[in-house]
Amino acid sequence: MSKKIHSTLWVLLLIAFYSTLFAQTGITFDKYKTNAEVQKALLSLQEKSPSRTAIHQIAQSPGGEPINVLEIGKELKNVPAIFVGANFEGKTPLSTEGALYLAKMLLDSVRYTQNVKWFILPLPNPDATVGYFSKVKWERTVNDFEVNDDKDDQINEDGPDDLNGDGWITQMRVEDPEGTFIVSDKDPRIMVKADPSKGERGKYKIYPEGIDNDGDGEINEDGPGGINVGINFPHLFKSNLKETGLWPGQAPEVYGIMKFVYSHPEILMAYTLGTSDFCMATPRVGRKGGANMESIKVPARFASRLGVDPEKTFTMAEVVELFKSSMPSRPGREMTAETIIDMLGLGAAVNPMEEDLKFYSDFSDKYKAYLKARGCSTDRMVADPDKDGSFELWAYYHLGVPSFSMNLFTPPVKPAEPRTRESFQRDPTSRTVVTDDKDKNIMAYIDNKLKGEGFVKWQPFNHPSLGKVEIGGIVPFVTSTPPPTKIDSLCKAQLPWLLTLSTKLPDLHLMKEVVTDLGAGVYRLEFFVENKGVLPYPTAMGSRNKQPAPVILILEGENLEFLEGYKRTPLGDFGGNQVRKITFTIKTDKKTILEAHIESVTFNPEVKQIKIGG
Amino acid sequence: MKKIFTIVACCLLTFMVVAENKDKIEIPLRFDRYYTYEDVVEALKLLHSTYPQLTKLDLVGKSEEGREIYALTINNPKTGEPLTKPGVYIDGNIHGNEIQAGEVCLYFANMLLTKYSDNDKITKVVDKNAYYIIPVVNVDGRYHFFKDAQTSSSDRSFRIPKDDDRDGLVDEDGPDDLDGDGNICMMRIKDPLGNYKTDPEDNRLMIPVKPGEKGEWTLLGEEGIDNDGDGKINEDGEGYFDANRNWGYDWQPNYVQSGAGSFPLEALGIKAIAAYIHQRPNIIVNFAFHNSGGMWLRAPSIKEEKVDPRDVAVYDLIGKNATKITPGTVYQPSYDLYDTHGDSDSHMFFLEGSYTFVGELFMRSQETYRDNINKPLTPASDSESSSSRRGGNPEESREQLKFNDYLGLNELYKPWKPFKHPTYGDIEIGGWVKMSGRLPHPFMLPDLVHRNAMVVLYAAEQTPEISMEIFDVKEIGKNLHQVRIRLKNEKGLPSMSSKAMSTKLYTPDMLKVTGAKVVASGKITDIRTNKISYQEHKPEIIYTSVPSYGYSEYQFLVEGKGEVKVNYISRKAGNIVKTLKL
Repeated sequence: MSKKIHSTLWVLLLIAFYSTLFAQTGITFDKYKTNAEVQKALLSLQEKSPSRTAIHQIAQSPGGEPINVLEIGKELKNVPAIFVGANFEGKTPLSTEGALYLAKMLLDSVRYTQNVKWFILPLPNPDATVGYFSKVKWERTVNDFEVNDDKDDQINEDGPDDLNGDGWITQMRVEDPEGTFIVSDKDPRIMVKADPSKGERGKYKIYPEGIDNDGDGEINEDGPGGINVGINFPHLFKSNLKETGLWPGQAPEVYGIMKFVYSHPEILMAYTLGTSDFCMATPRVGRKGGANMESIKVPARFASRLGVDPEKTFTMAEVVELFKSSMPSRPGREMTAETIIDMLGLGAAVNPMEEDLKFYSDFSDKYKAYLKARGCSTDRMVADPDKDGSFELWAYYHLGVPSFSMNLFTPPVKPAEPRTRESFQRDPTSRTVVTDDKDKNIMAYIDNKLKGEGFVKWQPFNHPSLGKVEIGGIVPFVTSTPPPTKIDSLCKAQLPWLLTLSTKLPDLHLMKEVVTDLGAGVYRLEFFVENKGVLPYPTAMGSRNKQPAPVILILEGENLEFLEGYKRTPLGDFGGNQVRKITFTIKTDKKTILEAHIESVTFNPEVKQIKIGG
Repeated sequence: MKKIFTIVACCLLTFMVVAENKDKIEIPLRFDRYYTYEDVVEALKLLHSTYPQLTKLDLVGKSEEGREIYALTINNPKTGEPLTKPGVYIDGNIHGNEIQAGEVCLYFANMLLTKYSDNDKITKVVDKNAYYIIPVVNVDGRYHFFKDAQTSSSDRSFRIPKDDDRDGLVDEDGPDDLDGDGNICMMRIKDPLGNYKTDPEDNRLMIPVKPGEKGEWTLLGEEGIDNDGDGKINEDGEGYFDANRNWGYDWQPNYVQSGAGSFPLEALGIKAIAAYIHQRPNIIVNFAFHNSGGMWLRAPSIKEEKVDPRDVAVYDLIGKNATKITPGTVYQPSYDLYDTHGDSDSHMFFLEGSYTFVGELFMRSQETYRDNINKPLTPASDSESSSSRRGGNPEESREQLKFNDYLGLNELYKPWKPFKHPTYGDIEIGGWVKMSGRLPHPFMLPDLVHRNAMVVLYAAEQTPEISMEIFDVKEIGKNLHQVRIRLKNEKGLPSMSSKAMSTKLYTPDMLKVTGAKVVASGKITDIRTNKISYQEHKPEIIYTSVPSYGYSEYQFLVEGKGEVKVNYISRKAGNIVKTLKL
């Protein structure tokens, strides 16, 4: 009897223990959160685990909203970090929920915060989320930075207008002799581009729902706000285009993020929750331009000095040797691949490095297998391609860290239907009419899963400047933002993959050392340093841009004289699971005890004592 | 006895006052000397306190080491607020060692203020424009250039440390002033296998040995030791952070553009100055002064970037005249020197719509010692290329050394002296000192600052002067009037660059008719054949720009009677209002 009571008590205690655990991170995922609610959630997570968390305000949006990062880890000092950013474009509230969900998972279990800490940025573009949370919904991506989009005499004077009062900004179609659209013969709700080669002739013009508020002949060309935080980062940034801003980091949110990230060189990996998906497929390849490091022509002005043919091609290694032999290094300017690329003006990388694509595609296969094992379908519309000026590209190309993005939701597709990447290429910054295939998939999703809600039937409207129009079309956010009841299951199914990936980080250790007595107090010392992680350090991109912090082997001791090698030895690059040998020749005496340190801002410090005499 | 004492004391006192007065800063400012960072600040404060009506002194921001960055505005409030006039912006010394750039800025300010109302030319340009002057951008750099031992080329960097040799330590192994003379000179070592021998014409110099010749010296680089014990000397000095690669336009990371910093506008001073400029959208022409090569550089700074021929023509107008005002200089696109990314000139031209010049001040060729000034020392083909303008050859070095002997008071060169180096053993230290090579001897400074300030003055004279003429008003129907307007520019700078127009950088000039209903409007494309290009929408506003030394004509069809207002509103060329009665 007492035994039974005893065990019951244990069960009760256990229940109480777990329920307090859950109560600890008592934020809920039954609705999409405004920035005020996001900040409250961050605060409540922080307050409930004060020793394992910290909040950093890194910026304020032009609209006055705070932008905060939650730091989570068993140790917040001297450990590598993962940076997680979500919803840079402000139009995927699900990704903000994903970031908070991830934070909750990290606090619920200590498993993934033992040797790594996390920086979670759930909402870097709060101003744009007005598009989702206001009474009238539209897919707004810009912050409140003041930009005169149409360069006229007024600012923000011609935004969208909910003409039919249904709470959504959809589309207007109007019959026009110059129109290029027709009604699809497969689904009368869908508008498609007329194909003159098939004898089709356009009948309609399509506009976003709105009026020409400023009478300049354009509709919705200068809505509220200015810069899209999601395309204002420096890699492949294009100045002064729609929503890009004039220079990278002109948006204070982006400047704040860059400043924060560069003040945390311990960041070893970056995750982005949003529209692209590097977990499912590799970052985009095949961009034109960029230097091929294996086939370099030496520009004429250097060729004559180096005494080589400007038409001949060389590998980077050959070019380095050429320069080293004929141009002396000067202080602060060693002749390395880096400085030579700079001197030759070879420019920035625009495609992922071959070596890095290997781990991207390997993890992509594993991710698909992981989803399959969890019963999640991978038959879904392909995520948006990565965008020029995006955070995820910047993280890979400029920080040189593995950058994984994840898109938590796209509408399902029928498995039988062939999918092509081209059919989903659309203008990334506006949601004008898309191709037949894509719309068909969306319509099927709306019909099957949303019971038809998500599409506004085309209805006549008397437009002040266009005359008789019809208003209708796909409702904003339908393709990116499922009903809130789905948040929990989508996060639960997919986000653990990011936890799994976090166990693949590079991890450098002193594996062993071999001391060989060469006689007369001279010793050869061989250190074997291993990368226990699957991922390399740095990535091939990081090796090119020299951004990831160096890792140094320090050898110290009394009566220690170096015959070969130095006290501080930069360890260079490590592939995944690679072991490398570093050799020293030293003079010392038998009794010496040396200390070997691995020093780096990115890894846990490690110290080992070596008794020379054994 | 007491008397003698008093006399001696008086003499001493007088001497002390004279000594103290040697560097005293007074208006008008003197330009036979260089100003330390503190002197520059004092000079700016004095200019402001002496001319409080014409000037404003703004604290733009603070540097990494907390020094203040000041901008002096010169504007005559009686002729309007600064933003209603064309803006002329000048800065200098973005590279810490390029100090005379600051003196050019100070001289320009000093000239405008001290000659205002005495000299008609000056009075006119002061009255028409607003001037924004930041003499020292790299305030920490200027401070350390004076204070620390340097070469003439070192200390360019901002105080943002960088681990150049990637050993986990930052800026730990820069050059060291081994002989304690306040200069970083060169080290050489006796070496029969070396690449250099003593110059037979001047034994203070070395020349490269020819193949087969016996060597005498090996050059060991700048003065310094292996501070961090890594077997390398001077491999990780200050920075390197080049603030003139940290601007927003076409910023590229360090592996593409050395010195770029981690992200655009990372440097506190550059972020502050970029904001200061952005808040002054009236800036239409600007100069950034640097110090080496005798060049006037214009945008663009990379070859692939295209600039409209109309903009090139505007640049040519100023650039070609500049080479005559400053004889011996060349004028060329910036990329002809080398491609740069993230420089201030492209930022100013492409993102702020300002015609921008880089003035590379110092010319080695002016340190002359010869009987015929017109006879070139080196073959013409060599001296034409940009890179040779910055490098010496043996003949130039010999002349430069004679210049040091006969004109430079032996202040430019240190003879080689033995030194015991911890790594190399017996070496010699010597060569050109900090205040040589890129800086004119103070006796040449007044000429340099005046000529270069006159280039700025010429550009300031060329800022647009727009006039509006309502020239053909007639009734062409019942209650319908044809109103024709001509906007004419008397000067060489257009009201807006072609580049800014084509990239839709900002709201163009507006010609606005209010007070009656505008039925139609458009630009007159051919007045003789009466061709008008009517615009489809919003006839009450025409967006336009006024070309260099030219005019453009417009027609409004206005319905109604009474008083009509015609407004010309330009971001960079001022505003005009006229009324007319229909």
